[in-house]
Amino acid sequence: MKTQFTAFLKRNLALARLGIVTNLEYRFNFIIDAFIQPILSVGIEVLLWIAIFKTVDATGLIGGFGRDSYLAYAVWAPFLGRIAISWMYESMMVEEVVSGSINTILTRPLSFFEYYLSQTLGYKVITTVFSMTVPIAFSLFFDLPVHYERLPAAFILVVYYILLVHTMSFIVSTLGFYLTRVRSFTLLKNLSLMLLGGELVPIDLMPENLSSILLSLPFSSGVYVPLAFITGRGDWDLLYRGFFNISWGLVVAGILSYFLWNRGVREYTGTGA
Amino acid sequence: MKYAIEAKNLGRVYKTYSKKEGIINSLKGFYNRKYTEKVALKNANLKIEAGKIVGLVGSNGAGKTTLLKILSGLIHPSTGTANVLGYEPWKRDNEFLKQISILLGQKNQLWWDITPLDSYSLLTKIYDLDPVRAKKRVMDLANLLQCEQVLDTQLRRLSLGERMKMEIIGSLLHEPKVLFLDEPTIGLDIVAQNSIRNFLEKYVKEFQPAIILTSHYMDDIAQLADQLLLISQGEIVYDGNVEHFMQTTDLKKKLIYRLKNSTEEKEIVFSSQELTQVLSDLAKAGEVVDLKVEEVDFEDAIHRFLEAESGTR
Repeated sequence: MKTQFTAFLKRNLALARLGIVTNLEYRFNFIIDAFIQPILSVGIEVLLWIAIFKTVDATGLIGGFGRDSYLAYAVWAPFLGRIAISWMYESMMVEEVVSGSINTILTRPLSFFEYYLSQTLGYKVITTVFSMTVPIAFSLFFDLPVHYERLPAAFILVVYYILLVHTMSFIVSTLGFYLTRVRSFTLLKNLSLMLLGGELVPIDLMPENLSSILLSLPFSSGVYVPLAFITGRGDWDLLYRGFFNISWGLVVAGILSYFLWNRGVREYTGTGA
Repeated sequence: MKYAIEAKNLGRVYKTYSKKEGIINSLKGFYNRKYTEKVALKNANLKIEAGKIVGLVGSNGAGKTTLLKILSGLIHPSTGTANVLGYEPWKRDNEFLKQISILLGQKNQLWWDITPLDSYSLLTKIYDLDPVRAKKRVMDLANLLQCEQVLDTQLRRLSLGERMKMEIIGSLLHEPKVLFLDEPTIGLDIVAQNSIRNFLEKYVKEFQPAIILTSHYMDDIAQLADQLLLISQGEIVYDGNVEHFMQTTDLKKKLIYRLKNSTEEKEIVFSSQELTQVLSDLAKAGEVVDLKVEEVDFEDAIHRFLEAESGTR
C-alpha cells in the first residue's frame, strides 16, 4: 500500500513538473496567460469602478463598501479568475479525445483524469507564484484593504476549487467520445463560471434571491468567496461554506464524470490510431 | 500450449452518420440523423506464441488497425473474446498495461517539448520502474539503435527517423511482453527502415516478446514475420507463415512481354503448370518482340491475393 502510494506520488510529481516545464517552454504564451490578460481585465474593471464611484451618493458607499474595497476586488478578481478556470488544459483534454491522441494515455498504466490533473496543478502553481506578485504589489502600493494573513487559507480554497474545475473539464472532454466538436461547451462552461463565480461583479451586489442561490452553489468558491474573504467582505463562515459547496459539487461532478467516461470508452472508436 | 495472445470470433461494428450532399440534407440531418453500421472486423480467430512476430497485412480499411486496437485494449469488441497475457484487454487492468506496448508510427507517444531522456524519466515513474535499471536499458537500446547522440535533444527538433528510434526505446523501456507495432517504418528512408528491422529482429531473439506488426512495406513483413495474417474486408483470410504462403499461392510467375508496334509492356501472372497454355495464348496474340519471365515477389503475391479475396466477397 505504502509502495503504491509512493509510486503514485512520484508519478504525479513528475507530471506536475511536466506541466511546469512545458508551459515555461512557451514563454510568450505563459506571459500573456499569467500577466497580460489579467492586467488588461484589471484595467477595465478599475476604470469601471472609478466611473461608478464618481456618481455615488454622499455616503461614498455601494452595498456597504467604499471605493477602495471595490478597487481591491477589481485588482484581485481577474488574477484569481485566471487560476480558478481551465481554458488551456481543457482544450488539450478535449483535443486528446476528439483526435484520438488519448490512445497513448489509454495504453499506459495511468488515468486520463490523473494525467491532466497533475499537469494542471503544476501549471497553476507556477502561474500563481508569478502572477500573484502583481495584485500583491498593487494592493501594497495603493494601500488597498486586503487581509494578507488570510491569503494562505484563501489559496487552499482555490486549489480545492481547481479539483472541481478539473472534474468539470474532464466531463466536457468525455463529450468528445460522443460528439465531434466540443469547443463550444468549453466556451459556455467558462463564461458561465465567470458569471456564476463573481469574477465580473461581486455576488453580494446582485439581487438578494440570485445572490443567495449563487452562494449556495460551488461556483462562487473559485473567485468570489476567497476574494470576499481576503478583502473583508466575508468572514471564516463564508470560507467554510465555500469548502462545503465545493465538496458536494465534487460528489455530483464525480458521479457524472464516472458515468460519462465509462460509457464513452465503450463507444470509443480509437480514431487516429 | 499457452499463447500470449488468443482471440475467438472477435468482431467490431462501427456506427457512422451518413449524410447526402447539399444544404437541404444538412438541414434534414440537423434533426433527423441517419446512421449506418459498418462491419470493421468479423469472426477473427488467432493464436500467437511468445517470441513470435506476426505480420498483419491488409489494404486500407481492411480491419487490421481495429484488430490491433481491440487487442491492445483501446476499444471494446462488439462480439467475441480475447485473452492477452491472461487479461481481457479492454478492461485495461494496470498490470496488463504494464506488460504491453503499442507503437503507432504516425503518432508521437513521447512528449514533444522535452528531451527523450526526460520522457524516459517520466515513463520510468509512470511504469514504476527501477530508475537505475531503466537508465541502463535506455543506454543499451540507444546503443543498439545507434542514436545515443540525440537522447538529450528535444523531440520536436529530431528527424523522423531519429524520432521513431526514440519512440521505439520508449515503447520498450518497461520490457513489454506483448508489442503492437502499427507502421513502425512509415515515412522512413531505406537506411532507417533497415536499421529498425535489424534492431527488431535482434530484440525479439533476445527478449522473446510477442509482436503484432502492421506495415504497408512488405519488406518489413518478409524480413521479420514468423507468422502471416492476411485480413480482407474485416475477415482473416490467411493464417500461416511467409514461406508457406509463397509455396501455396497459385500466383507464382510473371510473364512480361511487348508486342511489335507497341511501346507498352504487358504482364500475365500464372502458375507453373499453366506455362504451356500461357505461351500458346501469347503466340496467338501477335508478334512478341520482348519477353521475360520473373518470379512473383512477396509484395506482388500479397496484393494479388488480397485483390482476389476482395473480389470474391
